[in-house]
Amino acid sequence: MTVIRTTALTRRFGALTAVDHLSLDLPAGGVIGLVGPNGAGKSTLIRMLLGLIRPSDGTAEVLGYPITHPARYAARVGALIESPAFAPNLTAHANLLSLAHLRGLDAGRVEAVLEIVGLLGRDLEPVRTFSLGMKQRLGIAAALLPDPELLLLDEPTNGLDPAGIAEIRVLLRTLATQGRTVVVASHLLTEIEAACDYVVVITLGQLLFAGPMVELLARTSEHIDVSPENPEDSGRLHDALTTAGWVVADDGPGLRLEAPADQAPAVNRAATAAGITLSLLIARQETLEDVFLRLTGSADGDLSRQRAAQAHPTMSRQAHPVEETR
Amino acid sequence: MLRATRSELTRLNHRSFRLGWLGLTTLLTAMFTMVVFKAASGGTPIPTSAPGGSFPSLAELTGPHGQVVGLGAAATILGVVTLAYWAIATASDYSTGLIRLLVQAEPHRLRLLAGKVFALTCWTAVAATVATVVSVALSPLIARATDLSTSGWTSAPGDVVAMIASTWLNTFLALVVWGVIGLVIALLTRSSAVAISVGVGYVLVIEGAVRLVASDLADKLPGATLTALAGGGTDTLGYRAAIGLGLTYATIGLGAAALALVRRDITE
Repeated sequence: MTVIRTTALTRRFGALTAVDHLSLDLPAGGVIGLVGPNGAGKSTLIRMLLGLIRPSDGTAEVLGYPITHPARYAARVGALIESPAFAPNLTAHANLLSLAHLRGLDAGRVEAVLEIVGLLGRDLEPVRTFSLGMKQRLGIAAALLPDPELLLLDEPTNGLDPAGIAEIRVLLRTLATQGRTVVVASHLLTEIEAACDYVVVITLGQLLFAGPMVELLARTSEHIDVSPENPEDSGRLHDALTTAGWVVADDGPGLRLEAPADQAPAVNRAATAAGITLSLLIARQETLEDVFLRLTGSADGDLSRQRAAQAHPTMSRQAHPVEETR
Repeated sequence: MLRATRSELTRLNHRSFRLGWLGLTTLLTAMFTMVVFKAASGGTPIPTSAPGGSFPSLAELTGPHGQVVGLGAAATILGVVTLAYWAIATASDYSTGLIRLLVQAEPHRLRLLAGKVFALTCWTAVAATVATVVSVALSPLIARATDLSTSGWTSAPGDVVAMIASTWLNTFLALVVWGVIGLVIALLTRSSAVAISVGVGYVLVIEGAVRLVASDLADKLPGATLTALAGGGTDTLGYRAAIGLGLTYATIGLGAAALALVRRDITE
């Protein structure tokens, strides 16, 4: 079953295309990571799915209903969009109660979600006194209010300390095991790698990858970094390793070999045979971050757009109204 | 719509909002009631075109409706307070980003708007009640302190109740239209500061300037219309005409607000 389907979904802000003919089919269940650099169009996509902004072109469905009729699925979807937004003078409880009334839920649900996010006991304090992490928890509580089938969370761990991040990771996994689909947009690739079953990579509004996390991680490569004790031996080491059959590249003061970890002893023996002592020999596996940077071209999306705007001055007048609010 | 109203009432029910709005209403009503009686008893002339609307004459203050006539003079400034609070309640949804949670929870945006208007109208009824009570309670005390005769005031219980009820209703209607104006400006500008500045600037500057060059037209502008409505009609704009014009302004304003809310993207 598909929870979110987009077909050539496009949103333009003047000359700027925030989401560009994006076609996606996101499966139901599990935690889905939505990753992309700043200005990739993640927030614009989420806002379109929630009916907050209209697409310029293309179509999309959420839980089988078109996004042109968000009222049909709103009761089954919870969301945290960018930074948590609450009335600062109201208590956490009153803020949630107000949202519960709007959704036709009873006050008991407010206590339930406060307990889930660990804010019970602090809920009668005004939100203005909350730290960013507490506001983030309250934002997640608001998203959980309707007991949703689908959760759309934009940077849910923003402002949390490491213990809080780990706690939210466990919460997301728990929610997914209860049959929900949790879509998490995040910059924290280690978190995405740790928490997600499925991943979508977008940049400049376009889809780069969508598929199971294991499929993306299969694209990672292994390599071995070596450095000679004497820097003057670097050339000789390069020649020795190349002669032995490895593909070798200069990597700063050392060398990088495209080779799996189990070849590290052979590399060491080849260097010793050439009379070179190694000061460093490390086998490395590419991380999701390496793959991400390779896919997205290591570019900050906002900077890419800025450069494009400088190249085409008509674009410079068009702000990116969603991404820039972050 | 009831869900949206209940939700809005929950958000409005905080101390600073209650104390601010009702406190200012109490203070300004008391202040204007005192000024009205002082000015009349001291013979100080108050220009009818002065910001704040028309002040009652000595004859009006000592006449049958003298106990409540001072409230009409305070109606414009109370209207500005109402405009400010409606604007704050509307624009803060945008400045805090709360609007995205609200629209996500209730995608029928017109229901959200209707809920907000209804909830703020309830609070405006409370503010109009406070203003009426303060005016009715203070007027005899101030009249005595300023040596104004109250022998001509209506004293039959039925007449007093009818007079207070009609004063409350006129004040309430005028304040609601002021509030709608604040809501519309706040929705269009998404800023309470801008909405309040535009509202106050309009009353204090623009309408006064228009009056200098075209007094006939100025009598039909929102400020003068709502002053006339609050006072039960004036020499230049009758009660029925004031109600008609007030409702027209409110309808146009709510139409503009609905259009803006439904058509615009939520980018906050």
